[in-house]
Amino acid sequence: MKRIITLFIITTFVVACEPEIDDFEPSSGEADFSTYVAVGNSLTAGFMNGELYRSGQQNSYPSMLADKFATVGGGDFTQPLMKDDLGFGNRRVLGPSQDCTGDTSLAPVPIQGEPNPQNFTSIADQGPFNNMGVPGAKSFHLVAEGYGQLNPYFGRFMSDPNTTVLADAMAANPTFFTMWIGNNDVLGYAMAGGEADSITGQQMYGGVLQSMLQTLTSIGAKGAIANIPDITDIPFFNTIPYNALTLSQEQAQQLNQSDAYQQYNQGAENAGVDKISFQEGANALVIEDNSAPYNQIGGIRQIKENELVLLEIPLDSVKCYGMGSQNPVPEEYVLDEEEISKISQAVNGYNQTITAMAQQFSIAEVDMAAVMKEAEENGLRYDGVGYTTEFVSGGLFSLDGIHLTGQGYAIVANKFISAINAEYNAEIPTVSVTDYSGIQFP
Amino acid sequence: MRKIIFLFIIGILFSGLAMAGGFQVGLQGQRQTGMGLLGTGYMTGPSSVFYNPGAMSFQENRFSTSIGISPIVSTIAFQYEEPSLYEAKTDNPVSLPFSFYGNGKITDKLSAGLGIYTPYGSSTNWGDDWRGRHIIQDISLMAIYVQPTLSYQISERFGFGVGFVYAYGQVELNKGFPLQDADGAEGSINLEGNTSSFGFNAGFYARPVDRMEIGVTYRSEVLMEVKKGDAAFSVPSSLAGSFPSENKFDADLPLPASVNFGASYQFNDKFKLGVDVNYVFWSSYESLDFDFEKNTESLEDLSQPKNYNDGFIYRIGGEYFVNDMLTLRAGFYYDSPVVDDDYYAPETPDAIKLGYTGGLSFAPNENLSIDASILYVQGLERTVDYKPENFGGTYKYNGIVPGLGINYHF
Repeated sequence: MKRIITLFIITTFVVACEPEIDDFEPSSGEADFSTYVAVGNSLTAGFMNGELYRSGQQNSYPSMLADKFATVGGGDFTQPLMKDDLGFGNRRVLGPSQDCTGDTSLAPVPIQGEPNPQNFTSIADQGPFNNMGVPGAKSFHLVAEGYGQLNPYFGRFMSDPNTTVLADAMAANPTFFTMWIGNNDVLGYAMAGGEADSITGQQMYGGVLQSMLQTLTSIGAKGAIANIPDITDIPFFNTIPYNALTLSQEQAQQLNQSDAYQQYNQGAENAGVDKISFQEGANALVIEDNSAPYNQIGGIRQIKENELVLLEIPLDSVKCYGMGSQNPVPEEYVLDEEEISKISQAVNGYNQTITAMAQQFSIAEVDMAAVMKEAEENGLRYDGVGYTTEFVSGGLFSLDGIHLTGQGYAIVANKFISAINAEYNAEIPTVSVTDYSGIQFP
Repeated sequence: MRKIIFLFIIGILFSGLAMAGGFQVGLQGQRQTGMGLLGTGYMTGPSSVFYNPGAMSFQENRFSTSIGISPIVSTIAFQYEEPSLYEAKTDNPVSLPFSFYGNGKITDKLSAGLGIYTPYGSSTNWGDDWRGRHIIQDISLMAIYVQPTLSYQISERFGFGVGFVYAYGQVELNKGFPLQDADGAEGSINLEGNTSSFGFNAGFYARPVDRMEIGVTYRSEVLMEVKKGDAAFSVPSSLAGSFPSENKFDADLPLPASVNFGASYQFNDKFKLGVDVNYVFWSSYESLDFDFEKNTESLEDLSQPKNYNDGFIYRIGGEYFVNDMLTLRAGFYYDSPVVDDDYYAPETPDAIKLGYTGGLSFAPNENLSIDASILYVQGLERTVDYKPENFGGTYKYNGIVPGLGINYHF
């Protein structure tokens, strides 16, 4: 008896000592999350580090959203998962990399290993799929019949060779959808240095968006649409500085005195444009420019401070083989002022369309452009971890400099959640950003 | 061996929760603990060495001594900023603040005493994987004060005392480091250091009229300056060059000053009641900065802004003398928060704290008494943010502190 009383007293103390906070109650508000479908491109698919692979897909923002939707009545979420972490084999990892001068540093290098052959075979029989993000897709590709025959990432899970991405999305009968499409409508052009591919016209973009949203909402689904960040803020265009050419005093002098540049500068003076000159230290790269008046004087000039060099530029050629000094950097590695302005205008146009469409269809609009701008200008911070748009060290972008890390996608998921909560008076819980994959160091 | 035991004792000392504002503890005597931890104007025995050195010289006995321990069992609950389902609770180990006092009369008017006690400490363990791990996983701070003291009775009604404080302090903290290795496992930082410093504790004590006691004390700030503490980084091997092993750090931690006022009145043979007001100068705790000996491009000094405010504590408590052998005690205190809503870091809980206390003394003979006390402290729910790290949510905590002591005098 005495023992029982003692036990009771101890238990009372222990229970009294456990503070309790009322639990948070999630709610679906005015939306029905029972069948969620995500439509988009590589960002929606969970593409990262240059490839679509299993653990990346498991860190896709739609999969994170589905996980939280499950707390408010959301059902199963099927992704067209690759069999392994190699995908089609293009994944990059950080590893030691030696440059032409013999320096070794940590850089993105191709991953070792052979992809599972089943990554290349159809998994259509496991559909319909809820994550309809297709790497490489532009807006109009989502409604293009037979697109899966051109794009193997869709080809492996299309329900039929002549289907469209949108039709396969509708096959799941979504009650809720997210859409994030338009990045590739400028990115293809930008990644080619403005020398190949083309920017999707505003009319085309608006028309495709209108018809897709009409279809998606035709059976009463609610949804959210994200706008397009300024792609020129991403590391792919901002890691190599315009003045990546480092010269000794002797090298600078030799270049300045070379016949080629003496002759060029004569022509430049006549044409009324800047001369090319080099000094000790950092120098603006010499680039190819075949527009007037440079086409009259050899088709080259020095790059301007506000122009961008692509991450893919062969840096060994710059360091050891005269690229950007004796020879110009080919145009496909550079976005010049005019190209940047074209891209910005296009993105602004798309984003106006997105705002208008979000209103017209009464769906949530997610201002992803503002998030990326904030990351670029001030950095972001969650639970004691900082994120910037710096390549590798910033933590937001993966090793391809274009797609996000798992943590970056978690930030995207939270922006979707807050926009959805606001639009539909829902209380969907947020995801924990720092629990997802970041840049992985050997 | 002796050294190992000593370290072990220190190690278990303050693995508990701060019981007052910031990381102040306040459990400096069982009798005071039973009465809402008051004692500035309420003499109860040798613990006056801490509570009011001015009262020591009023002691009736030639010599008195006391020793006591107060194990702390505490938990902090956390719920992440809504909307979120994330919840966490600390797993703070039971901790053991202690006090020892001795006080003897040299002449009728002059007394000398020694106190060894643990006025500050905090240990919070949130675990390695919780959501705030990049701010703190676990931290333990503790300080032991050794205070030799002299007290002089200036007149029949008025006494003054001052003690010199030697303080030994130790801090250890662990936090996660957001660098993932090839398997996705994160790095971590371990910081550990100790130091010693000096201060003083002075008090006036008076009996302006019969049955009434009043007091005022000032306890100085003790600035703990850790020099060359050990900083260990666990990071992916390819980054080891950026985070030098066997790195050192310097850090300063102020243990704040306080000014304390108290009064008590003995209503009759059975009943005595007292009040205390403490003002603690927490505003000296502006930031916790870790200055690393070796910095690299990737390793900058750490600075955590704190921006604490000064805080008030109000206490009331009393005794009921049942008979020569038994005394009962009860008390209550209200402790104001010292941390701003935007600077609430998870390592040190802070809120409006309500303390409910009770105690008793049993005196088997006229020289000896056994003192027991119990404190239940409740930190009211608070929804706050640590803006510098963007980490916020709702916190609530409480703790239970049984205490046992022995008092001997002749």
